[in-house]
Amino acid sequence: MTGLASRWVATNVLPMALPEVHLICGTRTQAVRLAPVAAAMREAGVVAPVLVAGGRYPAMAGQALTAFGLFPDVTLRVERGAGSRSELRTEMIRRLDELWTERPPAAALVQGDTTTSLAGALAACWRRIPVVHLEAGQRGDHLGSSFPEEADRRLIAQVATLHLTATPLAAMNLLDEDVATGDVLITGNTVVDAAHTVAGRRLPFVNLEVAAVRAAAADRRLLVVAVRRRESWGAALDRVLAAVRRLVERYADLDVIIATDPNPAVRAQAHAGIGDVDRVMITGSLPHQDLTRLLSEAYLVLTDTADLQQEARSFGVPALVLLEDADPAGSAAGGARLVGSDDATIVEEAAALLDSRVRRDAMTAGGNPYGDGLAARRVAQATAALLGLADHPDPMPALGSYAGAYGASF
Amino acid sequence: MPGTAELVAFYARSWINRDRDAARRLIAPDAEIGWNLEPPVDDEELVRTLHRIAAFADSVTVVSTTCAGDRACLVYDCAAPFGTVRMAEFLTVADDAVSEIRQVYDAVALRRYFPGLLDSD
Repeated sequence: MTGLASRWVATNVLPMALPEVHLICGTRTQAVRLAPVAAAMREAGVVAPVLVAGGRYPAMAGQALTAFGLFPDVTLRVERGAGSRSELRTEMIRRLDELWTERPPAAALVQGDTTTSLAGALAACWRRIPVVHLEAGQRGDHLGSSFPEEADRRLIAQVATLHLTATPLAAMNLLDEDVATGDVLITGNTVVDAAHTVAGRRLPFVNLEVAAVRAAAADRRLLVVAVRRRESWGAALDRVLAAVRRLVERYADLDVIIATDPNPAVRAQAHAGIGDVDRVMITGSLPHQDLTRLLSEAYLVLTDTADLQQEARSFGVPALVLLEDADPAGSAAGGARLVGSDDATIVEEAAALLDSRVRRDAMTAGGNPYGDGLAARRVAQATAALLGLADHPDPMPALGSYAGAYGASF
Repeated sequence: MPGTAELVAFYARSWINRDRDAARRLIAPDAEIGWNLEPPVDDEELVRTLHRIAAFADSVTVVSTTCAGDRACLVYDCAAPFGTVRMAEFLTVADDAVSEIRQVYDAVALRRYFPGLLDSD
């Protein structure tokens, strides 16, 4: 392995068309994570990244890419039909197989554990195209947790040639499953790269209501609440809203922006529960650049998704995770605390951080376990190395210990 | 003459319904066979393993079938008493028989939910 140079040296590169690596994205979340990889591949100039947007809502993936100045190179529209996962998987395999009949890539890169990811991995395996799995090794507490996602991510691991993990824990999970050590690389999570890229561009808010609220915020602190999981709807959402109401009543310097699922019933529930409270704004699904900017400006985040928790952590913003059980991405990795959906617990935990800036900052003071902002370069280099076009990159360094910083030695 | 979709559907139905003779008849004598398990597999071992899965499972469901020319990709959910194992199977059809089979199991789940599956008699 060699270190990660800013522009790593390619080997065996012939002066001809670059080998294509197809990056499969079916959701907005995937597009956000793959965009920095595409940019890093383009910058290195050793392989040609091809962004393939597919699934039920390829337009949403495409929309997320625009914040990075990117667009899908290929869009595979899948008719909704009955809308089942099975149907989507079948149709995505078919569409990818058709694409790869005409335009076979040197490698296919899939992320996470969505139906589109599994379809991409299976379609590639079918054609004996090497599969690179981004955010590999995430595992639930047991095999039956979050079926079929858990089954899908395990099956992707079986067909992947290269497993790129966001955290050391994910890498350990793969080694525990007898995946060869040389096929696993800890890259960090590209969502950290994405967050820094979008924040660095300082794009204006797309949502004008959000822009107005933030312009009028003055010195008030911002609490971002994002509830996306289906299991958080209904009674759990009511409890979260009750907790937010009490926090707004207690802290006069607190603004709250609640980003709900686009489902009209969920939005209606949020409006009914807290729509009458001053300093609380309820939005639907926000464009990624708006959400990223809000996270970067937040004092605290309440969320039920690992994505936002990790993204917030990129900006040194702690999150209280509204889940009963640890999610596969590992809330315990730092910067987040699992609080469930009990309103009294949420208020107690949030108040502890709102009352003490030191306690709030301490939650994220240990560095970011999810990435160092160089994950996309490692992914690009590791993919090129898989194709024999570059040296293998070093893994993401482990976070340093405080003891070392203070001169302690062991 | 059956098309790829019909033939692979019949093959899947055969082993799911524990008709191992029918499944074996559909596999060409010189078929290329492989899986992501140890040890390497031949047609006899493959049919025997599928038969054991079908016998032990509460149910086996084909959750998706994708055909392209003479090739097919099937995804199965094999539900055992304590959990479900997902399996992908890549098939090639030639001369009314399955000429290539590549199976990819969730190896961890298979070991856990179908204990002893690969033990020899």
